[in-house]
Amino acid sequence: MSPEHIELTYTALAQCLARVGETKAPLLLATLALDLLSQLDDAGAALEHIQRAERLANM
Amino acid sequence: MPVLIVGAGPVGLSLAALLAHHGIRSLVLETDASWCEGSRAICIARRSLEILGWVGADRPLIAKGLPWIGGRSFFRDTEVLCFEMPSEPAERFAPMINIQQYYVEQHAHAAALRMGGVEVCWSTRAQAIHPRTAAVDVDVQTADGSTGTVRAEWLIACDGGRSTVREQLGLEFQGTQYDGRYVIVDIEQDTRCKVERLAWFDPPSNPGSTILMHRQPDNIWRIDYQLSDHDDPAAAVRPENVLPRVQAHLDMIGETAPWKPLWISIYNAKCLTLPSYRTGRVLFAGDAAHLVPIFGVRGLNSGLDDAGNLAWKLALVLQGRAHESLLDSYSIERVRAARENIAFGAKSTEFMAPPHHGFALMRAAALRLALVSPGVRSLINPRQTSPVEYSDSPLNQTDVPGDFAGGARPGGPAPEAKLLGLEGPGHLTALFGTGFVVLYFSDDPHLPAAWQPLAESPASGAASLRLVRVASRGAPDERSVVDALGQAWQRYDAQEGTAYLVRPDGYVMGRWRRSAAQSANIVRALKRALGAEP
Repeated sequence: MSPEHIELTYTALAQCLARVGETKAPLLLATLALDLLSQLDDAGAALEHIQRAERLANM
Repeated sequence: MPVLIVGAGPVGLSLAALLAHHGIRSLVLETDASWCEGSRAICIARRSLEILGWVGADRPLIAKGLPWIGGRSFFRDTEVLCFEMPSEPAERFAPMINIQQYYVEQHAHAAALRMGGVEVCWSTRAQAIHPRTAAVDVDVQTADGSTGTVRAEWLIACDGGRSTVREQLGLEFQGTQYDGRYVIVDIEQDTRCKVERLAWFDPPSNPGSTILMHRQPDNIWRIDYQLSDHDDPAAAVRPENVLPRVQAHLDMIGETAPWKPLWISIYNAKCLTLPSYRTGRVLFAGDAAHLVPIFGVRGLNSGLDDAGNLAWKLALVLQGRAHESLLDSYSIERVRAARENIAFGAKSTEFMAPPHHGFALMRAAALRLALVSPGVRSLINPRQTSPVEYSDSPLNQTDVPGDFAGGARPGGPAPEAKLLGLEGPGHLTALFGTGFVVLYFSDDPHLPAAWQPLAESPASGAASLRLVRVASRGAPDERSVVDALGQAWQRYDAQEGTAYLVRPDGYVMGRWRRSAAQSANIVRALKRALGAEP
């Protein structure tokens, strides 16, 4: 993705999070993540993303 | 008085110098007793140095300032971004120099006095503005309490974010303000650190905060740090609250020399502009016209671009060489620039001072991902200022369709190139700043007959037209420069016979592929710009 498109995506998601509110933010992000992960070729790739996100979240 | 400038800040003083360069006298009123205190704006961009160069104020600033080309950002103690601004060997100006605002004011003031015809009245307040049909009357009060009225043909408000002129005319900013606050601290400390923009997100020295650091001349550090929502702004600027946070950070980065604070201030990002910078015979420039976030250093730099845009237009109008509608193009072009600066500044602010939990959460995610995924690092880039393209300017001459595939479009800044002139190696942008310039790309030293009227422009100053042949080989002469490196021909998408008409402020107004047959169009373009022809 080009830097311009990454920025557009970043801003759209930030504003979407603000609209649904802090309480529903985890649900929204889980829905989004599952949607995207289900488009990967196999569970192995998906698990790698999940583990990486867990590691970064626990920093 | 032809021009009354309210405000002797960097924009007002630079404008006075630029007007004087075009032979226009001005009177500058300033409430304060002298140049500013505290370093305030410290990053002067290449384009600003170009503008200050038109009046010779670039040299002392370069001699004193600290040049830099890039920076690094850290998440906690790990580097997540290293960026560089466009830069090349032997360039005319570095992309940015750091220098305290009072030096910019001092040297702009000196340039204005050197040019002549400028009077600066310190400790003098503009109290009331009375617009008349063909003039503006301003009631003024001096430091000793005496009062009087100054009549000016044109009034330029350069009196800052809390502009008296703007308030007097009942004009209001449009836009938004952000809540996130930053403390700005200047300290004096010996350092040998590289000159670059440094940013830390959530650093071990100040967990949860964001810190920016810039070096300035005279062993001064600029340190900006973000306050949290529950910090009390009034308490946050008290030394007992500021000094420990600064000390912790200096300890973290290993800067151990003794230090002392010089200046402490507080800041929140604003994205505000007037919808128009012209109201009759009153024009607005700098912070009086627009306020943009500090992230990306677009504040003073855009103010200097305002001055560079306005000076030649106002000079032409005052000299009777252009219709006053030329000044409307100042407003159109610079309002557009402000809106672009605000859009970039808002993006930077959303990252540097997240306005709500959505942006805060996304930033936390982006900074972590940046550790492992280079693709997201561009989100951290500070989006430093660059000249704005005036793509909808009424002065632009439309390209003949299909003539150009690249190069500099009308309304864009004329690109830089290293050239050989009679005085030796030089830079193309050094040709700009006084009158119009036609760049004629040709290896034939004999000008087409149709060009003779262009080559013998009788006008002087901003109305003059200078024809410069840009040859790809051979030797320079009085009217020709040599583009031995091929930079100019490439950057202007030139072929034999291509011509560019460049405005006195270094912006492209029009361009023609087979220009010999179109010299009449160039003359017509010029007349149209000056309002002498519809």
